[in-house]
Amino acid sequence: MSDDIVLKVEDLHKNYGNVTVLKGVSFEVRRGETKIICGPSGSGKSTLLRCLNLITRPDKGRIWLEREEITNRNININKVRQKIGFVFQEFNLFNHLTALRNVSVGLEVVKKMNKDEARKIALEMLKKVGLEEHAHKYPAELSGGQKQRVAIARALAMNPAIIFYDEPTSALDPQLIGEVLEVMKALAREKVTSIVVTHEMGFALSVGDEMLFMYDGKIIERGIPQEVIQNPRCEEARRFFQRINELYVGKRR
Amino acid sequence: MSFWESFISYLLQGWVATLEILAISIPLSILLGLSLAVARVYGNWLISLIAGGFVALLRGLPLVVTLLIVFFALPKLGIYFSPFWAAVIAFIMCSGAYQSEYVRGAIRSIDVGQSLAAQALGMTKIQEVIYIILPQAFRRALPGITNEIIYLILYSSLAYLVGVQELFSIAKHFNSLQFRPIEIFSTTALIYAFMATIATLFFRKLENKLKIPGLETI
Amino acid sequence: MVTVWDYLPYILEGVWWTLGLVAGGLALGFIIGLPLSIGQVYGHRILKLIVEIYAWFFRSVPLLVLLFLFYWGIFPATGYKLDPLTCSILVLGFRSGGYQSQIFRGAIQSIGEGQYIAARTLGMSKLQGIYHIILPQALRIAFPGWVNEYAIILKDSAICFVLGVMEILTRTRYVVMATLEPLLPYFIAGGLFIALTYGGTKLVNMVYEKTKIPGLIGRM
Repeated sequence: MSDDIVLKVEDLHKNYGNVTVLKGVSFEVRRGETKIICGPSGSGKSTLLRCLNLITRPDKGRIWLEREEITNRNININKVRQKIGFVFQEFNLFNHLTALRNVSVGLEVVKKMNKDEARKIALEMLKKVGLEEHAHKYPAELSGGQKQRVAIARALAMNPAIIFYDEPTSALDPQLIGEVLEVMKALAREKVTSIVVTHEMGFALSVGDEMLFMYDGKIIERGIPQEVIQNPRCEEARRFFQRINELYVGKRR
Repeated sequence: MSFWESFISYLLQGWVATLEILAISIPLSILLGLSLAVARVYGNWLISLIAGGFVALLRGLPLVVTLLIVFFALPKLGIYFSPFWAAVIAFIMCSGAYQSEYVRGAIRSIDVGQSLAAQALGMTKIQEVIYIILPQAFRRALPGITNEIIYLILYSSLAYLVGVQELFSIAKHFNSLQFRPIEIFSTTALIYAFMATIATLFFRKLENKLKIPGLETI
Repeated sequence: MVTVWDYLPYILEGVWWTLGLVAGGLALGFIIGLPLSIGQVYGHRILKLIVEIYAWFFRSVPLLVLLFLFYWGIFPATGYKLDPLTCSILVLGFRSGGYQSQIFRGAIQSIGEGQYIAARTLGMSKLQGIYHIILPQALRIAFPGWVNEYAIILKDSAICFVLGVMEILTRTRYVVMATLEPLLPYFIAGGLFIALTYGGTKLVNMVYEKTKIPGLIGRM
C-alpha cells in the first residue's frame, strides 16, 4: 500500500440482527482527496462511516488507516479515533462548554496538551471557520450553521488524517446551509482529506474528487461526480439523482 | 449565669458537633450519589445491579432504622463504629442513595450524540464521563441534590439517638436540667431553620454561578 | 427459651400503629396543605406571606425537634396534655401540611392562568373557578408528588418512637431489649418498612392509573 493512501476499506460487512446493512464495501481514499458518498436513506452510508471510526464494529472486512490495520482487535481504538475527525448531522456539541472549549477539550483531555497551547490552537481553528468572535458563546447561543462550523473546528483541531462528514447540512435550515458548505469547500481546496456523506450535489460537483453511490449496502456506482450525477449507468442511481434534483430545485425556489 | 447565657454556651458546643457531622457527610454524600449513579448507568450488569439494589434498599428504609442497624446491629456481625462515625456513615449512605436518583435521571437526559462526539474525539469512557457527562448531569441534578442536603441537615439531629453530643442532644439534655421546653426547643428549631435557610441560599447561589445557557434543570 | 420469632406478632401489630400515623398525618397535612396552597397562589399579599412562613418553618425544622417542642412545650403550655399518638399525628400533619402546600402550589401554577380566566369569563366566581376548574386538575397533577409524600411520611413516622408511640420501631426496640438480640429485630423492622414503602407506593399508583385524564400528566 502506497503512502498516498490514507484509508483503505476492504469487503466491509455489517448486520443488525437479521438486517444486513453493509454487504461488502471496498474503496480507498488518497491523501488530499474529497470522497463523496451518496445514496438513498437506508443504503448504509451512516453505518459505513460509524464502522470506519469503529463506533460500530464491522462484522467482517478490514480497514487500514495510514497503513495500520485498525480492524485488528489489539489496536487502541481511542488512538485511532484521534486521527479521524467526525462531523455529525446533529452537531453534537458539548452543551456545557463554550465554542472555544468545545474545540480545545479534545486537545486537553485526549492529547494532554497544556491549556494555553490547546486554547491557542482552538482559537486558530475557530478563526478558520469564521467564528473567533463567538469563541466564548455556549452552543445554545449559536445558530445551527455556527454550531456545525464549531463542530468542524473541533474535528480539525485534532489534526486528523481524515475527516468524516455525516450529512453535515441535513439538520440545517436552508438559509444556513451555505455558510457550512463554504467552510467545507475551503478545507477541500486546502487538500484536507475527507469523506463526505451528502446530498448537496453542488458541493459534490465543485470539490468532490470521486463519488460513491451506495444502494442496499453496496457501492453500485463510482466515478468522478459529474459523470455519476449526470450520466449514471444504473437505474437506481438515475432515479435517485432525479429525485434529488427535484428536491434541490424545489428547495431553492 | 443566667438561663440564656448558660443555654447558649451549652448549645454552641452541640452546634459545633452538628457542623462537624455535616462537614463530613455533605461532600461525601454528593460523591457517593455521583458514584452510585455512574455505577448504575455505566457499570456492567453486576455493578449496576449492586448499586441499584443498594439505592432501593436505602430508599426503602427509614433513616432512623438504618442508623440503629449501623450502630446496634452491625457490631453483632463484627463491624463496630463509634457513635459519631455510625451517624456519619448512615447519613452518607442514605443521602447518597437519594441523590443518586437525581443524578441518574440527569445522566439519562443527556443526548447520546454528545457521547458519540466524545468517542469520536478519542476519549476513553472514563474521560467522557468526567469531562462531558458529569459536568452537565451535576448541573441538572443540583436542585434535587440541594433538597436532599437540606433533609440531611435536618436529619443530622437523629445522631442523638446513638449518643452523639450534637445540637439536639445537648438541647434535650439541657431541657432535662432546666425544663423550659418552649424556649429550649424553639431556639433549637430556629438554629436548624437557620442552617437549612443558609444552605438553600448557598446552593441557589451555586446554581446561578454554574448556570449555562441551554442547560436548564430537568 | 423465648426467641425473636415469638415476638413477631407483637412487632407486626405495630404496622397498624404506623399506618395510623401515616394516614392521620397525610390526611391532616392535606386538610392544611390544600387551603394553604390556594391561599399562596390566589390569596392576598399578607396571606401569601403567612403561608410562606408556615411552609418555611415546618420544612426547615427537624421532625425530632418539632415532636419535642410540641409534646413537652406547646401543647402542655396551651393546656392540652396529649397522648403520644395524638401528638405525633398532629405534628406529622402540621409538618406534612407545609410540604403538601408546596406540592399543590406547584401543581396549581403548572395549570396556567388561561383556564382560570376562562372560568371567570363564564361567570364563575373566584371560588367556583378554583373548585370546579383548577382543583380537579391540580390534584391529579400533584398526585405523583403526593405519593412521594406518603413514602416520606411513612419513613418519618418511625421517628415518633421517641415519644413511645407503639409503632413498628418502638416495639422492635422493646424486643431488642427483651431478647438482647439486635440483628434480627432490626432486620424485621427494616423489611416491614421496605414492604410498606414499595407496596404502598405501588398500590396508590394503581389507583392513580385509573383516575388519569389523557393529556394531563403528573409532574415532579
